[in-house]
Amino acid sequence: MMWSAIKAFIVKELKLTFRSKASIFWIIAWPAIWLLMTAYVFVPPAAGQPMTLKVGVVNYDVGSTSPFNGTTFIQILNESEYRGVKLFQVKVYENETLMLEDIRRGRLDGGFTIPEGFGENIIFGQARLKVYVGARSLQSAQIAESILRGFIQGLNNGISMRKVNETLRYIEIYSEKYMPKNLTIPVAGNRSWLDFMRDWMIGLASPINASFRDVKPKAFVERSSILGWQTFGAIGMSLLYSGLIIGSTMAVREKEAGTLRRILASPATSTDMLVGKTLSGLITLGIMSAIIVILGVYPCGAKIIWSPMNPAHWLAIILLVLVSIMVIGIGMILSLIARTAESASNLSVVLGLMLAFIAGIWFPKSWLPTWMRFLADIFPATWAIDGIRSALVYGATAAELMPTFLKVLAAAIISYLIGVFAYKKTLRKYVIA
Amino acid sequence: MAADVCLMVRDVSKRFGDRVAVDGVSFKVHGGEIYGLLGPNGAGKTTLLSMIAGILEPDSGEISIDGLNALNPRTRRRVGYCPQDPIVYDNLTGLENMMFYAGLHGLSGGHVKRRCRELLDQMGLGEYAGRRVKTYSGGMKKRLSFAITLIGDPEILLLDEPTTGMDPRIRRSVWESILRLKEEGKTIILATHYMEEADELSDRVAIMDLGKIVAEGSPEGLKNRYGPKAVIDVELSKPAIEPEAMIEKIKPYASGDGVMYGDGKLRVHVDDPDIVSPRIVSELVRMGVGLKTLKITTPTLEDVFLRLTGRRLIGDDVERH
Repeated sequence: MMWSAIKAFIVKELKLTFRSKASIFWIIAWPAIWLLMTAYVFVPPAAGQPMTLKVGVVNYDVGSTSPFNGTTFIQILNESEYRGVKLFQVKVYENETLMLEDIRRGRLDGGFTIPEGFGENIIFGQARLKVYVGARSLQSAQIAESILRGFIQGLNNGISMRKVNETLRYIEIYSEKYMPKNLTIPVAGNRSWLDFMRDWMIGLASPINASFRDVKPKAFVERSSILGWQTFGAIGMSLLYSGLIIGSTMAVREKEAGTLRRILASPATSTDMLVGKTLSGLITLGIMSAIIVILGVYPCGAKIIWSPMNPAHWLAIILLVLVSIMVIGIGMILSLIARTAESASNLSVVLGLMLAFIAGIWFPKSWLPTWMRFLADIFPATWAIDGIRSALVYGATAAELMPTFLKVLAAAIISYLIGVFAYKKTLRKYVIA
Repeated sequence: MAADVCLMVRDVSKRFGDRVAVDGVSFKVHGGEIYGLLGPNGAGKTTLLSMIAGILEPDSGEISIDGLNALNPRTRRRVGYCPQDPIVYDNLTGLENMMFYAGLHGLSGGHVKRRCRELLDQMGLGEYAGRRVKTYSGGMKKRLSFAITLIGDPEILLLDEPTTGMDPRIRRSVWESILRLKEEGKTIILATHYMEEADELSDRVAIMDLGKIVAEGSPEGLKNRYGPKAVIDVELSKPAIEPEAMIEKIKPYASGDGVMYGDGKLRVHVDDPDIVSPRIVSELVRMGVGLKTLKITTPTLEDVFLRLTGRRLIGDDVERH
């Protein structure tokens, strides 16, 4: 191999790449657009805060004199908050037909119909309440139903407890007349009769007193971590189509420019061209990845951990190089079927974007249908990007990363070797043509 | 030639599918010589040059440069190949194109840029060195392509149709450059379909047709051996109405079948011009064809090609007469 020739290819390719508007678009603009859209549209700065539902209420319990009635219910709806955010934006309707019309049109997330006698029934028995679950968008339907169910459950518990306490107060007052004062219950650990009744009735109202606490990994709840995940998604997506383009057009661009014959007539060998173009491709992909990381961290607010003293972080960088080599190799294999630079580029973009979307690189695997997750499980680029995420977003150690590293290394070697075979075959075909 | 043989082509053949591009070609080129490969498009010149340049491997036969196989990468350092089209990178500047090919020739260091600028100056491109090639004219690109060929200071230059598409003034300046390179001791293989170019520049010429060399020798030798004694060129005052009938009437006065007509010009191969020319004039007058000029000239390589192949070269195409 001749270093001066390899260097000449690197310099030439970098100049041609960064002077091409189309290349700049695909390398910088396209991933930037996706990343900014993710940061400010799909995961906006308000993401993670509780949602406020738009609900309608029809109150037929207007004349009630009960201490808890339809008006009280509406007041509770208006005052309910979660983490300082109002749970409901309430709109009162005169009749159910108008409210249902608005739910059907997607103007409301849900609605309540409070029947006449609601207040009296709550005090003396069981009150009926009609709850309608709507959907302003596909994503909000499930959330709306959960919030409405949770609210009613909470309200039920609250009212039950108040009724229990009220009942116990009466029992305490009147039991003195009919029950011995020191009566204890042996099966309940000889507790006093009154204590036993209190616990028994609270248990009837709410058998399980569950307390919920957020102990989810920060990665899934913090916007910055979500954006860190997506930043490497953008890198993975761009690596896929750009790497495929670099590999698939390696020989055909020179053939179409007419320069291939002149290159082959020079003392430089086809191996010099392969090495030079691969290295320039890796530099291009490296620059592209660095730009995406900067965009992810600064304007978007992604959390990416980096410490030069952490071997896992260097392993992540090597993973990035390996996945680039692998994708360039796959691109060279594509050159066997693409006859022109344009068709090679188009094929690479389509295949790259498709793989990014269906193989768990841009969208999380959990979003994909089960059969599609299989592809994500066997695609080495997904292993690599997930490995990089685990190190640079979630803080995985080098030891944790090592199995992924070895698998990606093997995949990169195999893909590139097959790619070299395809490249040599393509060159022979072009020289004869 | 007294100099040693520096290029030897022996019984070389190349076929692409059913088509035979080069068919058992053999020749030798001596050091410091300009060797012309003359023939129409499709004669096999570019394929032959590609094999000499080491781009293509012959199906059979042998090509050696100073005793080394042409496919050996070491021989490529000694060869400069200038392809037919001005193939350069449009989005690089002239200087960047030169620097790229300098790298491919193993040249590095500070002197390379100087050498590139010198070559660009020689080709009259010095002041455009920093401009992107996409702003160059076709002629400028061709000159840049020619300058690139010289970047590695090769001993042997393979020039494939170096002046195709150039206007006469630039073509003449490229010819001067080629002759200057010969004076510097370069060996030049010049593939061309321009008879005049081969005649003017070549020490020896191989006439190629359908993949074979049909004749080889110095231009003068070929003309003496295969050409007519003289040629009568007649320019008609207006194009002939029935050219085929006119050719048939003139044929008895011609040497062999040497009568050609095109673009209002009649060309007749003759052995005794003094006797034949008045008769040709009379015949034309009798046919009602007006004459503008009549010239008696010496034969060219085009006349040799006609005699050898029965066909005539016009521009890029071959025409039967």
